[in-house]
Amino acid sequence: MFAGRCKGRVAAAFVAALAALGWSAPAFAELPRLDLPADLTAMIEFRLVLTDGERSWTDGGFGRSRFGGGGDGIDVDAVPANAQLVWHGPVAWNLEGAVAVAAQHGQDQPVDLIEAFLAWRPVPRSATRFSARAGMFWPAISLEHEGPAWSVPDMITPSAINSWIGEEVKLVGIEGSVAHPVGGGRIAATFGLFGFNDTAGALLGFRGWALHDQKTGAFSRQALPPLNAFMQTAQPQWTTPTLEADDRPGFYGRLTWQMAAPVILEAFYYGNRGDPEAVTPDLQWGWDTSFLNLGARIDPGPNTRILAQLLTGTTAMGFEENGRRWIETRFRAAYLRATHRIGRAALSGRLDLFDTRQSGSQVGPDDSEEGWSLTAALAWRLSGQADLILEGLHVDSDRGARARLGLAPEQAQDIVQAAMRITL
Amino acid sequence: MRIFVFLPLLLVAAPAAAAELAVQVRLPNGAPVPNAVVTLYPGGRPAPLGAAPGAFRIAQRDLQFSPFVLVVPVGASVSFPNFDNVRHHVYSFSPVRRFELRLYAREQARNVRFDRPGIVPLGCNIHDGMIAFIHVADTAFAAKTDSAGRAAFANVPAGAAVARVWHPYLRAPANQVQVRVAVAAAGRQAQAVTVNLRAPPRPGRAY
Repeated sequence: MFAGRCKGRVAAAFVAALAALGWSAPAFAELPRLDLPADLTAMIEFRLVLTDGERSWTDGGFGRSRFGGGGDGIDVDAVPANAQLVWHGPVAWNLEGAVAVAAQHGQDQPVDLIEAFLAWRPVPRSATRFSARAGMFWPAISLEHEGPAWSVPDMITPSAINSWIGEEVKLVGIEGSVAHPVGGGRIAATFGLFGFNDTAGALLGFRGWALHDQKTGAFSRQALPPLNAFMQTAQPQWTTPTLEADDRPGFYGRLTWQMAAPVILEAFYYGNRGDPEAVTPDLQWGWDTSFLNLGARIDPGPNTRILAQLLTGTTAMGFEENGRRWIETRFRAAYLRATHRIGRAALSGRLDLFDTRQSGSQVGPDDSEEGWSLTAALAWRLSGQADLILEGLHVDSDRGARARLGLAPEQAQDIVQAAMRITL
Repeated sequence: MRIFVFLPLLLVAAPAAAAELAVQVRLPNGAPVPNAVVTLYPGGRPAPLGAAPGAFRIAQRDLQFSPFVLVVPVGASVSFPNFDNVRHHVYSFSPVRRFELRLYAREQARNVRFDRPGIVPLGCNIHDGMIAFIHVADTAFAAKTDSAGRAAFANVPAGAAVARVWHPYLRAPANQVQVRVAVAAAGRQAQAVTVNLRAPPRPGRAY
């Protein structure tokens, strides 16, 4: 936790900056609005970040967050974290499209394509509804995200599960859905075929779970944490999440039951059928990844929402040695989140639990990890154009491989963030 | 309180002995239920409809239908003006009246005629959150409850009558309950009806 004189001064500076932000908040209520067409929205997000603990994996460390401490004190960052432009509108009657581009702090591409798809929704002829979608998109796994720019309302950092979906489970594919009312509710089924997601699993296999809001772009790389000596010869210290390595399509299926009561239950199964021995000239490997995600959304009252997801799966890459591929990872994570609205404010809390178990021939038990995190957030709608979100996140993880860098295997980190999201 | 404009046209046919009947729809906890449709069948039969059904409208404004529930007599024509800056694709797959309207931004005049009694749920194919209901009534005594949960009828013929209460989220078969009312020959009369409602469905995500 934050302590000490120097840390106190830094924390005081953060509080002062936050106060200045709060003091200037009324100015955000009267922002000039760009004269954009109705289907186009632009958003920019400024971030104030106060963090201690280890260096982020994006910076050559094992840290679980997008922003890391220097390892020996508190870091304060003031960054334009994210700017995005989204077009979402009708292309023809029954056909709608969406394109989202974003510039994100810390990504290798200054601007990248986030999502681009066409959705066909014919007018229902009966109570049964059919739809289809094609393009580059995230399959509907996250209960936290919404919209084509895949934003998290009311919080800054998504759960460990959906942080990973955001960074590695975006695909180029086609899906068909059918929905039918049942007993005052609705049951929907979706089946999809996809490609360009063969490296999904690399981040879980090398780094494990993380908690951050950096979304992968079509052409972006994601950094990897320090690799062991063998893997350094086989894989650069980055992964390209949107990549086809083996020309084998993957598939997914999803069942949703929206009950008559305000409860939605979901089950999602994903298998990318990746060839773990396929490798591209720049040493990006196929990862044979499959997982099951179970989700529940419950609205106990008009202003309260409870979300829960549980994801469990396996991934493997590399050649077999002694009956084991280089990396074989079993991964599990779960979260429980509650959000309560009071007027223009929304208060959220979330508990995340996560672990990875390594059993490959080129990784050892030291590369396994377990951890947990607690996140609390207060979102304040200043106007129709401006949202202020304050968030505190504590993450604790235990991983023997940290010893390779001379670090203690168990590390705790606190991250306090303030985000101002402005819709132009 | 909204009563059909065509209701007064019936008065010619109404018998001399008549009363004013107010139906009060409430939840078990006493809270009023607005947007319920009360239809009255004197002697168990529909009261004949007038010749001129009047003008009815469901507007699209701020990505919502307005009103949420509209009561019209059989034979009525309903206009669907779009006051939004975006397109709407209004449809219903109801067997009562199946239709589809492609409405460009700020498009004013499109009409649909409803020739059969029943419930017509409306949706917008572009905006999943837009939901409304048209109740096409076959009796002249048809009204929607106001914010106090009250629907009133004048000049109701004396004698036994059947009152039906329908609401899109009413917890009963066909979203409707029925009560028997003994209508007095004259004076003001109140009839309370207690109903249970389901939670309105919140639209799931499209993707």
